[in-house]
Amino acid sequence: MSTSTRKSRTRHSRSYASEERTAYLCLIPAIIGLTFITYLPLLAVFVLSLFSWSGLGSMKFTGMSNYIKLFTTDPYMLDSIRATIYFAVIAVIGSMIYSLCIALLLNRKIPARTFWRAVYYVPYVLPATAIYVGWSWLYESNFGLFNYLLTKVGLSRVMFIADSRYVVPSLALIAVWLSGNLIVIFLAGLQNVPRVYHEAAEIDGANGWQRFRNVTLPCMTPIIFYNLLMSLITNMQIVTPALALTNGGPGNSSRFISYLMYDQAFINNKLGYASAVSFVFFILIAVFTGILFATSKGWIFYEGGDER
Amino acid sequence: MSITKQGAMKSRKRKERVSNIISVIIIALVAAAVLFPIWWIVRTSLMSNAEIYKYPPAFFPSRWLLSNYRETLVIFKFWKYFFNTMMIIAPAVIGGTLTATICGYAFARLRFRGKKFLFTLCVGSMLLPTMVTLIPLYIMWTRIMGFQDSYLPLILPYLTGGGAFNIFLIRQFIMTVPRELDEAATIDGAGRLRILTQIIVPAIKPAMIVVGLFIFITLWNDLLQQMIYINSAEKFTIALGLTNFRGQLKQDWALTMCATCLSFAPGVIFYLIGQKYFVEGIVMTGLKN
Amino acid sequence: MSKKIISILLAVMLIGSIILAGCSKTDKVDTGEDESSATNSTTESKDEEKADATASDSDTKEKVKITYSMWGSAEEGANVQTVADKFNASQDKIQVEVVAIPWENYMTKLNTMATANQLPDTGMMQEQGVIQYSSEGMLSDVSTMFSEGEAKPLDSLAYTYQGKVVSYASANEVIILYYNKDMFDAAGVAYPPSSLEGAWTWEEFVAAAKKLTVDSNGKHPDEDGFNSQNITQYGCMIENLTWQLEIWALSNGGGFYNSDGTELIIDKPESIEAIQKVADLYLVDHVAPLSTGLTDDGIPRSIITGTVAMSSNGTWNVGTCLNVAKEEGLNYGVAVLPYMKEKVTINTSGANVVFSQTKHLEEAMEWIKWYGQEENNWDSLIATGIWMPRLDKYYKEEALTHKWVDNPNFPPYEEYKSAVVDYAMSDAARPTSWFYTAHTAEFNTLLQSILGDVWTGAKTAQDVIAENIDALKAIHAGE
Repeated sequence: MSTSTRKSRTRHSRSYASEERTAYLCLIPAIIGLTFITYLPLLAVFVLSLFSWSGLGSMKFTGMSNYIKLFTTDPYMLDSIRATIYFAVIAVIGSMIYSLCIALLLNRKIPARTFWRAVYYVPYVLPATAIYVGWSWLYESNFGLFNYLLTKVGLSRVMFIADSRYVVPSLALIAVWLSGNLIVIFLAGLQNVPRVYHEAAEIDGANGWQRFRNVTLPCMTPIIFYNLLMSLITNMQIVTPALALTNGGPGNSSRFISYLMYDQAFINNKLGYASAVSFVFFILIAVFTGILFATSKGWIFYEGGDER
Repeated sequence: MSITKQGAMKSRKRKERVSNIISVIIIALVAAAVLFPIWWIVRTSLMSNAEIYKYPPAFFPSRWLLSNYRETLVIFKFWKYFFNTMMIIAPAVIGGTLTATICGYAFARLRFRGKKFLFTLCVGSMLLPTMVTLIPLYIMWTRIMGFQDSYLPLILPYLTGGGAFNIFLIRQFIMTVPRELDEAATIDGAGRLRILTQIIVPAIKPAMIVVGLFIFITLWNDLLQQMIYINSAEKFTIALGLTNFRGQLKQDWALTMCATCLSFAPGVIFYLIGQKYFVEGIVMTGLKN
Repeated sequence: MSKKIISILLAVMLIGSIILAGCSKTDKVDTGEDESSATNSTTESKDEEKADATASDSDTKEKVKITYSMWGSAEEGANVQTVADKFNASQDKIQVEVVAIPWENYMTKLNTMATANQLPDTGMMQEQGVIQYSSEGMLSDVSTMFSEGEAKPLDSLAYTYQGKVVSYASANEVIILYYNKDMFDAAGVAYPPSSLEGAWTWEEFVAAAKKLTVDSNGKHPDEDGFNSQNITQYGCMIENLTWQLEIWALSNGGGFYNSDGTELIIDKPESIEAIQKVADLYLVDHVAPLSTGLTDDGIPRSIITGTVAMSSNGTWNVGTCLNVAKEEGLNYGVAVLPYMKEKVTINTSGANVVFSQTKHLEEAMEWIKWYGQEENNWDSLIATGIWMPRLDKYYKEEALTHKWVDNPNFPPYEEYKSAVVDYAMSDAARPTSWFYTAHTAEFNTLLQSILGDVWTGAKTAQDVIAENIDALKAIHAGE
């Protein structure tokens, strides 16, 4: 393919020029988007973070002092980073395991597969705010259903979202419940695993686990990576449960960084300070995705080895 | 020998059947658990406020108060909110899918200088969460562009290729369409526009539907941005309408849950329409690179 | 060739930015025309909506139009608009348009509108933001609303910043103790006193609560074999929304702030001890359910369902939920709060303010003055028990009190008169600190956050306040 394109390039350089023009024309929306919706705003976040600004009066340049304040006297920032990472890690791991398992089960020859798939997908398409309110009824400390069931079987109550030790796992459980899209993507990936490999392994006498370990899993690594990445980014941005349910509490245990930013920017009107929070958030995500990418080379298996 | 082989086959088949049955049981049990919170919302919506607070909690309403829904619809102007939501979602989904297709096409099929650079920027922006740039974008839309109480800040970002992820998805998909088809059409004298509309688009329809669904869900689930950009009750979306049940001094839980249940419908319907293509779309893109 | 590409790219960028800049310019011109575009668009939708309501479209054009924002559901918004329509019909100078914004994002919306210079002319303001907005110059001085010799609202209902009145509360509310009479009767416990003189001490209160708390085996917290993990009925619930905790800090001889709001005294041992005592109702005494101070549906959750026998909360509950429950057979009573060292309750109510961005200060004041008058809200808010009157004649002239309280929405007259009407007029009632203190919103947010671990017993009040006192002080100082 590459030789043929090179040949045609030299042969029809005029048509190449027109092709190039078409390409740029096609990409105008993307270029505008990347410039004005993505990269310039990113730059702007950093610039804004160097100012003290309420959005009303004039801006005051304060250099790095927003950052210094964030990491020395701010009562929320460090807890917030901790909460975000804690939540993201358990939500990502939980939803990856859950969705892979469900996808594996759904990939078998079972009746009414489309129906089941829809059932597992449904939570994902429901309006998020509503969902959290519904769950809060189940989690309610004194009169909620879960605690009723716990006392019914003689266990002691768990305060779920009212207890700083349990609030993050409780919210992560909701995140796992919401991960229907991961299931569908895994399912798609599983259907892409070449049947021949399985058959070959079967002939070699591999049992179910061995087939999973040596055939399915390696073929699925690109999909796992993709899901891991998307799930990480989604869960690190989590804001709705804090907004709808916990107000960041108890303590700062669910004061996720996005919520902290929202709170400072739109409740307390500290736009400069909130931009500093945003930028720290950006660095945090960059570090995590960076780690993910750095390790990916080691465990992603590309079919035939000629990916590109 | 052949007999033992047959026996082994039979036993394997039996084993497979047993394990399939177990799978179905697990699937059904977990599915029940998944649906349970939804049932809890539904049953709450059918209860009186007094019953909601009862302890121990009841699994079924003692009286099924369908009248709650009638009351809800008085306050929760479902059709109006739905229409408003569609005012955002429809242009975003259509515009986003189209621009993503065009941009994806350029990345997949056309040769031009700076392709690698632009593509890297594009993929890079996938990793940049929307929350990070919320403040500057908010300032840009409301102060510089003057979009007050407007849907435009919610729609316009989707007209720029529908987000890097969607461009990427379309590109991957177009890569799987055999190039020979394009070339044959070129020989027949078709221009690029015709190739795009008559060959590429029909071939990548599933992917376009996936992109549309993704945009739909992102907007559907988004509360924060709608909260920031929309002011007047006239322009409320379903998500905002749901927050409107918190009264001055009280919250009517039963009605809140009714509205919640009503707002389930559009998302589910949209999924049911799209689901056939949905899995297919993802299967075919492969999502490998 | 590559030059060409670059020039094309540059051209594209240029065109893009020109388009964007162009848009922004025209829009700036629009907004530059003193919000006319914005007001126009709202009046348009207004007119559409009103077309069926008022036929006199030509009349309204000559009137000064002002917008009034309030938090509440769409239904509540419509109710207030009905009241406003009465006002609109009563004179021919002012036309009021009501904007209802959900409670959750009310301040967010006000902030964003303030940034865009698009605040309504006047509106309701959440209590904790009033002084802060004043300090940013966003509120007009409304001292001139009432002329000399005119009956003014109670002094305790004025929000003051630097000696100027920036708002009068829309009503009066105090925190009282509600109780479920049937639960008391069943346990054979005497009702809490409705007179201030007889108010229970904290110890008496806890003792009564113990008798009312029952586990699944029918045992009380001070009996052997009591299972605190399986309590089926609780004795009491002290509402621990952060702002209401101030009562207990004050009652124990401490407080959140000193008397003029300039200094923090929440780290005084008395204040800390008071907060710990509230937490201990759940942690140590086992007489209260865990409550996290997040939702304000305390009364429906406790008294009305019969899961908690006594519950502290604001007087608005009489009209927002208890009147309906009473009709359905709930037998409840009202009492004064117990006390630690001093008898204290706090009064509050949402502020009606005039935003300084308005061009119609006089008209705006006239409207909120009219709106605050008891007779104009009588049926919907006063007689239902949601709002208590602002003028002291209703508290002092028995005939007027009768007119106000003697109706089926209220608990028995004598009880309410003593536990609410007289209580609100007594020395025990003090204004909540947000009537005169800035930055209470951020302060309460942080306090709520750190106390989250105190309610569950993970930390003590002493620890969290000591850990965070510097941050609390910084917030109070506006840093």
